[in-house]
Amino acid sequence: MGVGTRGGRVAPGLPSDGGFVSTRAASLLERAANWGRRYSLWPYPFGTACCGIEVMGVLSNKFDIARFGAELVRFSPRQSDLLIVAGNISFKMAPVLRRIYQQMCRPKWVIAMGACASSGGFYDNYSTVQGIDKVIHVDVYIPGCPPRPEAFLDALVLLQKKISQERPEDHPRPEPPWPPEDARPRGADLFFSAGT
Amino acid sequence: MDPDLALSLVVVLALAVIVPGLFFALGRLSRERRPSPEGDVPYESGILPATDAQRRFPVRFYLVAVLFIIFDVEGAFVIPWATEIRELGFTGFVSMAVFVGLLLVGLYYLIRRGALEWE
Amino acid sequence: MPEAPATRPGPEESAPEAAPESQPFPLRRLRERFGPDIVLEAHARAGDATAVVPRERIADALAFLKEDRELSFNTLTDLAGVDLALFPRQVEGFGGDERFQVVYHLHSLSRNDRVRLKVRVPESDPTVASATRLFRSADWAEREAFDMFGIRFEGHGNLKRILCHKDFVGHALRKDYDIRDRQWLVEPDTLEDELSPPPAPRGGGGDEEAEGDDLFTELMSVNIGPAHPAMHGAFRVLVRLKGETIVKAVPEIGYIHRAFEKSAEKGTYTQVVPYTDRLNYCSALLNNVGYCAAVEKLLGIEATERCQAIRVIIGELSRIIDHCVCLAASLVDIGALTNFWYLFRVRERVYEVIEALTGHRLTNSFARIGGLAADLNPGFEEGVRAVLVDLDSAVKDVLGLLAKNRIFHERTIGVGAITAEEAISYGFTGPCLRACGVAHDLRKASPYSGYDRYDFDVPVGENGDAFDRLMVRFEEMRQSARIIEQALGTLPGGPVNVDDPRVIIPPKEEVYASIEGLMRHFVLVYDGIRPPMGEAYGFTEAANGELGFYVVSDGTGNPYRVRVRPPCFYVYSAFPRLIEGGFLADAVAVLGGLNVIAGELER
Repeated sequence: MGVGTRGGRVAPGLPSDGGFVSTRAASLLERAANWGRRYSLWPYPFGTACCGIEVMGVLSNKFDIARFGAELVRFSPRQSDLLIVAGNISFKMAPVLRRIYQQMCRPKWVIAMGACASSGGFYDNYSTVQGIDKVIHVDVYIPGCPPRPEAFLDALVLLQKKISQERPEDHPRPEPPWPPEDARPRGADLFFSAGT
Repeated sequence: MDPDLALSLVVVLALAVIVPGLFFALGRLSRERRPSPEGDVPYESGILPATDAQRRFPVRFYLVAVLFIIFDVEGAFVIPWATEIRELGFTGFVSMAVFVGLLLVGLYYLIRRGALEWE
Repeated sequence: MPEAPATRPGPEESAPEAAPESQPFPLRRLRERFGPDIVLEAHARAGDATAVVPRERIADALAFLKEDRELSFNTLTDLAGVDLALFPRQVEGFGGDERFQVVYHLHSLSRNDRVRLKVRVPESDPTVASATRLFRSADWAEREAFDMFGIRFEGHGNLKRILCHKDFVGHALRKDYDIRDRQWLVEPDTLEDELSPPPAPRGGGGDEEAEGDDLFTELMSVNIGPAHPAMHGAFRVLVRLKGETIVKAVPEIGYIHRAFEKSAEKGTYTQVVPYTDRLNYCSALLNNVGYCAAVEKLLGIEATERCQAIRVIIGELSRIIDHCVCLAASLVDIGALTNFWYLFRVRERVYEVIEALTGHRLTNSFARIGGLAADLNPGFEEGVRAVLVDLDSAVKDVLGLLAKNRIFHERTIGVGAITAEEAISYGFTGPCLRACGVAHDLRKASPYSGYDRYDFDVPVGENGDAFDRLMVRFEEMRQSARIIEQALGTLPGGPVNVDDPRVIIPPKEEVYASIEGLMRHFVLVYDGIRPPMGEAYGFTEAANGELGFYVVSDGTGNPYRVRVRPPCFYVYSAFPRLIEGGFLADAVAVLGGLNVIAGELER
């Protein structure tokens, strides 16, 4: 666990028990900058599939993401700082996602919404990337298929807490290599062969 | 010219130059600089741009822009006249009417020629 | 794995040389016209008239079926490939030893008749004559058959991959392609080969300069999508612009291809139901019901009356929320944001009702083969009635903003218009076809689930433009509300699941108390439902049109092939035709009205 770890799923800076014991952001300027950044996130809903409809539900009046300061959706990477990948990413879409992420200005954060974006979901097949963290860096993962809007808002609050503890050296985040290593399963990776 | 008016004009101009200049300068100083080739590519929905933007545009765009400028400048002349309308009196009204009239003739010509239709 | 059971006879098994009067009319006419050797095999299992035709005569057969006055099969509803490498070839309709089959589903709108033609395609020479000359809907369907199976269609003109990416090696739906064999793509396709190069600058000819411009204009190519707000997910259109006018448009899809059809072959028939949720994810219940109805057709069972009525209610609720999303998103694209809030409020209210019933808001997986997952919850009826009141007031609010709105009229009337003949040729169904003036609704034409018991109208447009497509949906929401009220008022009692041991797991008391119950439960869960060997095409009127499932069973618990006939696949293939010659802003208005849902388009 620590800055730059790709193996663990707990984002760097957060203790694994979920509590926030220490504040890493030291100076007043850093804390002020973090305060400004986390309460005015400008999301880019990169909605591809079903989770995109739940993002629309979060944006609309019942769940109202505006309470958290993040209602100003901007569909351009140049104008946004929070990339919400809502839906599965196919191999065809992966280079597009990577380019969009690179075109965003720093500091930037990524929420992987839903099972498909986090790990491929139940689409374990030839066309779905098994988790977008193979393509870009991810800050928060939301399980669910699709996750409820409350889960999304919970993830947003979690991201805000994470941002509150950031230091300048946390950006830019380490990116996975591109093009990625070969994605074919190795040998006895296939535990079950039912029906195939 | 009235010295108070001149002073306020100078102050406004100074603020108009200094305040944005301050923002630019502060940004320049505090921003990180890490340009990357991937980040500088023009945005075209995630794909590399098909054509560059420095191509010859259809002449219709220029036509619309030129017409806009003409009538916008007309408006820019009308507004100061309208603030001093009492002082300028009847002669001022007649000269402004002639000015607007000439431009209306031009507008009528444009409409008849179809310059305001897009195709 | 237990062996497949012996063939169970389908409900209408016809011997190959039955008396002429008992043969389906289209096959009789085919034989009269071409001679008896035009039909290699024929059957009418599950009520679908099917004929296997020799490969070299398929073009003539299709042309005859389309142009003959007494047959007039004017729509190619679907074209699919099947890989028979692991299929028992003694089953009727699947004879011969060629590896592939191409299956054509034809539909006659005027006579309300359907026929299925199949051709055998050998692996050594996988070519078939293309049907694009006759039916425009064959264009993309043949590209998909090429992409998935490697079958080449001669005379197609643009036989490129459509769902898998350009660097993909192999053909995904072949039985020897491993489902987990993943292949990365490094750089997206530029599509420059489909967009013909612009003419040379000085002295270049071509019709780009024939418009009367004095000064030469360089055409600009712009990528719209896949990461674009107006592209509703992930569609891409490369347009060549002359000023603001679109001269040529090249769409590309496949950015959310999720291998539904390959995944369906992996599990049991019941395990396909969650995958169907994610097809048209705005109206998941309609997909569930459509799939279960198709498998029930293959099995030859009919759901109980109560189940049918509940399927109607939840289906119409689903249709309402799908239209809400379509209208909300389209209007936002045009600039009318307020309607988004009004319509999504309706959607949230319906979510509350559906969540209380199924346990999930969006992807429900509620229908089961032979019934439903559960019966109605207490309070369902009151919830639905309250929702219908909300719907009524929301539609009134939205139409109050739109119906006499000059801006809305200017942006949608006359924009993206298409004639009925062209729409039929492209394979349009559903609201987009009804907007062209064709009063075709499967709930009236081929009633299922007891739709003939309810009284409702089919709204029809006039010009087939964006305005009609949106207005038809408003009226359809009202009609759906009518149907729901009637269904609630006449809801029959009785069981919700069919009492058929092949299909429904027994109640828990039987499972724990008797050996037979335990065995039935075990076999159904472990092996799955095992329909008789054969094929069936089940279709329902989903929110976007005719949602069909062509299911091929080899008698085991794994589906052999589940082909989805996605309504918006055929609608979106007409998108270039709708936007070429119009403005760039009109393309956005047109796309909204088509209601293309990426999950269904690309499966």
